[in-house]
Amino acid sequence: MLTGNAAAAWGARVSDIDYVAAYPITPQSEIVELLSKWVASGELKAKFVEYESEHSMIAGAGAASLAGARAFTATSSQGLAYGFENLFAVSGWRAPMVMVNVSRGLGMPMTLQVDNTDVFSARDTGWLQLHAETCQEILDFIILAYRWGEDERILLPVIVNMDGFFLSFTREPVYIPSQEEVADFLPPYEPPHGIAFSPEELAYAPTIILGHSYSYFRYQMHLAALKAKEVFYEIAREFGERFGRYYGPIEKYMLDDADIAIVSMNSFTSILKGAVKRLREEGYRVGVLKINMFRPFPNEEVADALSGVEGVAVFDLNLSTGAGGIIYPELLRSIYHMESRPRVVLDFVGGLGGKELTYGEIRFMVRKVVEAMRGEAEPTPYPYLLFTEEDVQRLAADMEIAGKKWGGF
Amino acid sequence: MYRFRFHGRGGQGIKTASRIFGTAAFLEGFNAQDFPMYGPERRGAPVAAYVRISREPIVSRGYINNPDVVIVGDETLLFDPIADPLRGFGGGVLFVNTPSTPRIELDGHVVTLDITGLALEYIGRTSAISAGVGAVASKIAGFTKSNTLDAVAMELEEIGVPGELIDKNLKLAEVSYDSVPSFDLESLPSIERSDFVDMGVVQVRLDDGYIGVATIANLGNTAIRKTGNWRILKPIIDMDKCTGCKICFAYCPDVSIYMGDDGKAHINYDYCKGCLICSSVCPFKAITMVREVKTL
Amino acid sequence: MSRYRGVRDIPDEEYVAPGSALCAGCAAEIIARHMLKVLGRDTIMVNVPGCYAISTLFPYTAVKVPFVFGVFGGGAAVAQGIRDGLDILREKRGINNERVNYKVVVYVGDGAAYDIGFQSTSAAIHRGLDFYFVCYDNEAYGNTGFQLSGATPYASRTSTSEPVGDSIGNEYRKKDIFEIWRAHGAPYVATISVSHITDMLNKFEKAKEFRGPKLFVALSICPTGWGASEEETIRIARLAVETGMWPLKEAVYGEVRHTFIPRRLKPVEEYLKTQRRFRHLFKPVRREEEIRRIQEAVEEYWRRVRESEAGG
Repeated sequence: MLTGNAAAAWGARVSDIDYVAAYPITPQSEIVELLSKWVASGELKAKFVEYESEHSMIAGAGAASLAGARAFTATSSQGLAYGFENLFAVSGWRAPMVMVNVSRGLGMPMTLQVDNTDVFSARDTGWLQLHAETCQEILDFIILAYRWGEDERILLPVIVNMDGFFLSFTREPVYIPSQEEVADFLPPYEPPHGIAFSPEELAYAPTIILGHSYSYFRYQMHLAALKAKEVFYEIAREFGERFGRYYGPIEKYMLDDADIAIVSMNSFTSILKGAVKRLREEGYRVGVLKINMFRPFPNEEVADALSGVEGVAVFDLNLSTGAGGIIYPELLRSIYHMESRPRVVLDFVGGLGGKELTYGEIRFMVRKVVEAMRGEAEPTPYPYLLFTEEDVQRLAADMEIAGKKWGGF
Repeated sequence: MYRFRFHGRGGQGIKTASRIFGTAAFLEGFNAQDFPMYGPERRGAPVAAYVRISREPIVSRGYINNPDVVIVGDETLLFDPIADPLRGFGGGVLFVNTPSTPRIELDGHVVTLDITGLALEYIGRTSAISAGVGAVASKIAGFTKSNTLDAVAMELEEIGVPGELIDKNLKLAEVSYDSVPSFDLESLPSIERSDFVDMGVVQVRLDDGYIGVATIANLGNTAIRKTGNWRILKPIIDMDKCTGCKICFAYCPDVSIYMGDDGKAHINYDYCKGCLICSSVCPFKAITMVREVKTL
Repeated sequence: MSRYRGVRDIPDEEYVAPGSALCAGCAAEIIARHMLKVLGRDTIMVNVPGCYAISTLFPYTAVKVPFVFGVFGGGAAVAQGIRDGLDILREKRGINNERVNYKVVVYVGDGAAYDIGFQSTSAAIHRGLDFYFVCYDNEAYGNTGFQLSGATPYASRTSTSEPVGDSIGNEYRKKDIFEIWRAHGAPYVATISVSHITDMLNKFEKAKEFRGPKLFVALSICPTGWGASEEETIRIARLAVETGMWPLKEAVYGEVRHTFIPRRLKPVEEYLKTQRRFRHLFKPVRREEEIRRIQEAVEEYWRRVRESEAGG
């Protein structure tokens, strides 16, 4: 039985990481606490450095990777934002490493609870992204991520995301492979352009004045990221053969005969999967499409998975203010060129700040899609916020205590 | 629309010259758009600026690849592969700041004037020739002298040039204005050509990581670039006075002084930027300076 | 113990190539040249946005040793990662060659040392990182057009502290980065000046003896930003030292020693007058009180130095 945080630490440990760059932040701190203990006890042969900020931590981890060491770090929300410019530096160095993000909302107002807007804000930084639903996936994705990012065809860093609290502090059974087993799967890290390994000594990341060279190098990162999807199939197959757990860029759950798909990512997918059975009993032919890989975005897989579906409800545990959910437009890009694409695709923002996702809200999503499919409701590009009557009552109580004269809706 | 491209070296005031011209065009009733190649000013480094003027609203932006008029503020840039001032020039007017007559074969009109010499005469300095260069461009475009001088005063005031120095610059501008011909821009052949460059688009493929990562493997390769033509003044070592003390060698920022087999210091003029630190630190006053004479 | 007795002893090897696009007369180039001459071939340079970034503009680099470019505030953090990464390769993975034993030098301007990179530098010193941190201090953000920094001296004109109206230019005092670094307990901290090359060479040489942070701040004359004649670079640097405005000193585990003590201080105005950034102190009217304030601060500093040297 491991928490998500412990699973992350174990994933790093069995990957035989060389370097841990750390900085505390709730709900992530447990990961680096465990790693520091193992480094101190000698159970993990690595160097552990606690930096003074995520800004330095990410730069330091990336630089260690550029030198030739397998680097690990972990952060969350504010920390990710504080180190943000260095995300671009590390990917621009083409320094593969793994960073676990324990997803949490970005203040202000401050929260400790989940809101995936933090990790999605990093979507344009050149980091690949894997998102975990279970504690087992966290551990497995970390191992896969090292093999993946370090592949000489890719050379990009990877974020492995888990939701704060819902995974980070949740215990469940996790199978831990031995370091020897993992070593057979994950060869030693020797980056071809690394400081210690490159055939020639190099000047890394020179400033580029003119657009043609800048375009070329940025686009190489894009092409490498696209290539990464193909490479993922290769290594995930080998991983499956060795460890018996198979992963793909997406996962389909009761989707084959479904008319309606709920699209989701991360830990709340479990809640949605759980609701599907009951929804089917109520007569809705519903399935779930879970997206594991956010960068590169699995366009073809998503389109293929939705090919027989008429209506789609996108569950977005995030909010791009002024637009809506962040998964929604990504998904629309995937399906736009389909010959017969789903007729209705609606966006639902829910679970923000760790707010409970109730069965009623899930049924609301499905009903809205059905109404739009039947022409009973206008389709809209704007999201619905999943906010219940009970939420209103609790908010009203809080408002009164806070001394704010709120009249309700 | 008429496109003017200005070339010069950091410190000469080429950006200001382009602004003088842009403002003069505005005063003439043109729509104008001026734009410097952005970059922190490096004294001596090649810089460029672009001005579009038109009687119609300007629907274009950015660098000018096909100039109607090229204004070269420093003759040494004329054949410089990095500055490449003649790129895209197709038969309009080329102006070169030079005391000599350039030996150059091209379609179009070539105009020269020794603005640097005039600057020395009227301002007492060879740098900061913006007023002269701006005035020359203004005259070539056929703008009035009063608008030109107003533009000079406005732009120099804008950058904080003190009053008495503006007066000297106005004198420089006036003499420069009077020394070059004006052209009927509509009669130039190049104005037929547009901003539009039509080239094929290629498919960029994924290269292997060692190639596709932004790095430089050729360390120290700036040596390919000759910075010797940055010089306005040239240091010359009097070998009779040089004792080989290595002081100039020690203080040269640009690794352009080497100790020869004769035990004396020698200057590598391919790279010497002409800062003249060597001359100022030589304890034996063995290094003198002369104005750089460039052959075209 | 001084290995270098004069400029005749300067090593011949050059690790900086000519042809860079840095301004003519730039002192940061002189400092880089001599720093690398002493540190030698097996050095890796970390650089961040600032004037010296101009040394390495794709596809060119003037630096003949390996070079890593990081974000403005991250120089010391990048150095930490490189040092740690290379150490791991040696200690855990048994790789031992000249690459894993590189000396790591962070070469940055005053913006990166005093301001935006201050936090990461302080932390790297605190962690005892084995590296060289060398600041070419031109006392403002030179690369972006000479804006005020934490290193800008009192009364300097910058493009964000223009001496218009009653303003005297920069109204803040320059941060004492030497003392700040010294307070961290670093093994070696030194000030250097391009006017005193042998002093500079010997300090880099001496720093090699120490494991841990070795910190240098060099007054970096900036003809472009300071409004000075390019050929005056060395004379201005010398005046900074001889007027007492730029003391040459070192601190070994906190113990301060001045490596050059001017016998008689030249008046500060001899230094100030060489630069347009201080011109408003003399023209259109002489601002006696401001000049005196600068002079007194310098005299006060040296009075304390003499006291402590006498006491010690």
